[in-house]
Amino acid sequence: MLAVSDDPAAQLAADHEALMQFLYLAPVGLVQTGLDGEILMINPISAQLLMPLQRDGNLVNLFDALADVAPELRHLCASFAQASGMVCDGLQIHLNHPAYPAGGALRPRRSPQVLSLSLLKLDDARLMAVLSDVSEQVRRERQLRQNDAWLNALLTSITDYALVGLDREGRVSEWNETIGRVTGHSGAVVGSSYAVFHPVDAITEAQVRDRLREADQNGWSLDEGARVRADGSQFWASAMISPLPDADPEGDAPAYCMVVRDISDKRDAIETRRKSAFCDHLTGVANRRAFFEAAELELQRNRRTPRPTALILIDADHFKQVNDRHGHPGGDAALRQLGLLLSATFRQVDVVARVGGEEFAVLLPSSTLEGAAAVAERLRRLVAAQPVCFDGASIALTVSAGVAASDGEQIDLDTLMKRADEALYAAKAGGRNRIECWAPAPSTVHPPEPLDEA
Amino acid sequence: MNTVTIPSFAAPGLHALLDQLNAEQLDQLDFGVIGFDAGSNVCRYNRHESEAAGLTPPRVLGQPLFTNVAPCLNNFMVAQRFEDAEDGNAALDDTIDYVLTLRMRPIKVALRLLAEPGSAVRYVLVQRRV
Repeated sequence: MLAVSDDPAAQLAADHEALMQFLYLAPVGLVQTGLDGEILMINPISAQLLMPLQRDGNLVNLFDALADVAPELRHLCASFAQASGMVCDGLQIHLNHPAYPAGGALRPRRSPQVLSLSLLKLDDARLMAVLSDVSEQVRRERQLRQNDAWLNALLTSITDYALVGLDREGRVSEWNETIGRVTGHSGAVVGSSYAVFHPVDAITEAQVRDRLREADQNGWSLDEGARVRADGSQFWASAMISPLPDADPEGDAPAYCMVVRDISDKRDAIETRRKSAFCDHLTGVANRRAFFEAAELELQRNRRTPRPTALILIDADHFKQVNDRHGHPGGDAALRQLGLLLSATFRQVDVVARVGGEEFAVLLPSSTLEGAAAVAERLRRLVAAQPVCFDGASIALTVSAGVAASDGEQIDLDTLMKRADEALYAAKAGGRNRIECWAPAPSTVHPPEPLDEA
Repeated sequence: MNTVTIPSFAAPGLHALLDQLNAEQLDQLDFGVIGFDAGSNVCRYNRHESEAAGLTPPRVLGQPLFTNVAPCLNNFMVAQRFEDAEDGNAALDDTIDYVLTLRMRPIKVALRLLAEPGSAVRYVLVQRRV
């Protein structure tokens, strides 16, 4: 034990040292920064969590360190109007991409997948940040959320529901009054795939089968989302498919039971929750967290039922020049327009997300390389043809894109991302405003640092 | 007593030289020295390192290095290198650029990692980069 001293100065020094060690050993990251993110004080766990994300190994600015994985931070702080207060509380930051630099040498021994960040504005000069590795909690929470949804489906007071029998292939096997009441469909719906209840383009055939396989394996498959009635009007539904135990494998009797509940009255609350957790605040498209959850789920299902899946990485060309010339508000306007064009170009089933400052990713389920490249090309032309109107100025904007696809082969998200990134690099190197597809054995050797200083 | 030359951070064969220095001589070095034993407990801690970190030796000596003294070194770049060297029964002498949080400020440093098969003490040496 350390002795207590009679000398006040020595006691003060000992207290100071104890405090110092307390901070050294705190198992949570603490950082104090200026309003621009400049690091003033930082404890070791923060450095351990942030160093792997830092391209040049110089930990100077918190926003720069997190720029690739949480591009919205700077904006979030700049637009925080109050003199002091919580800027964000437990913001989840997903780290799957980009790959750790320096050949992965910097990655912590058990790589965190998800960081949680809280930012407190102390005054007009200082921010306090709390960082921690919450990978394990997020994994558990995801499981719980599924259980919750399941319980919700069972226990919440049911206003109305349709009970739909499905055959082995997911086709409606017979009509009943509940189907008519909730969806407006007549007996003519018998024989159609249950995709008929989804908005156009919102579910692929492969995903229709996925849900059935999921129900086979887990005993149920549950999801929440928009559904469409026979007259085209939409409602918000919770739908659960479960296999019927005694289904005759050959006969016409239904093999699955699908319960569709109209939960439109709860939709606002659900949407708000979903938006705050899964949407990029600036562009309205999905954020990194939503993208990685959706992409991993799709590729996981892909392993079970192989089919093509495509990924497009899209980068706004010379974006720094846009910011320099028109200021950050001009850059934001350009990104918002890009978000709108992206949402308008891709199918509803495609996952469009902002994954970096000016980098977007689109995952296209059941799409080939050629198919994805064609849509990317359409987007490229659309963007080039529509300058961004901002503050009386017209900002010309172009995009480069890299496309990669899995042809149903076993491929993980990291590899797919890496390939699309290589193709994107080729598009940039080839002069920008163009689309490149990944091909095996690329002819050029790429430097390890990505892209585009401009 | 024999005269012992005080070696520099980059001196070749530094591991053997450090093993010969007593605590007083370690304190004369112009770079930080953290020595740790087979159980990864800190057994040598010189003045330069103590002053840079703001911790006196009694708080550090005998403590497990990678969990209780410098958790920021518990990664592939540092801790894993020592483990790999131990598993492969190989010598380790490598210098890497790093950022340490000394007195809660990010400080750019060079770290020299030293291990020798058969030597009881392994070292992390710390020198500030400018």
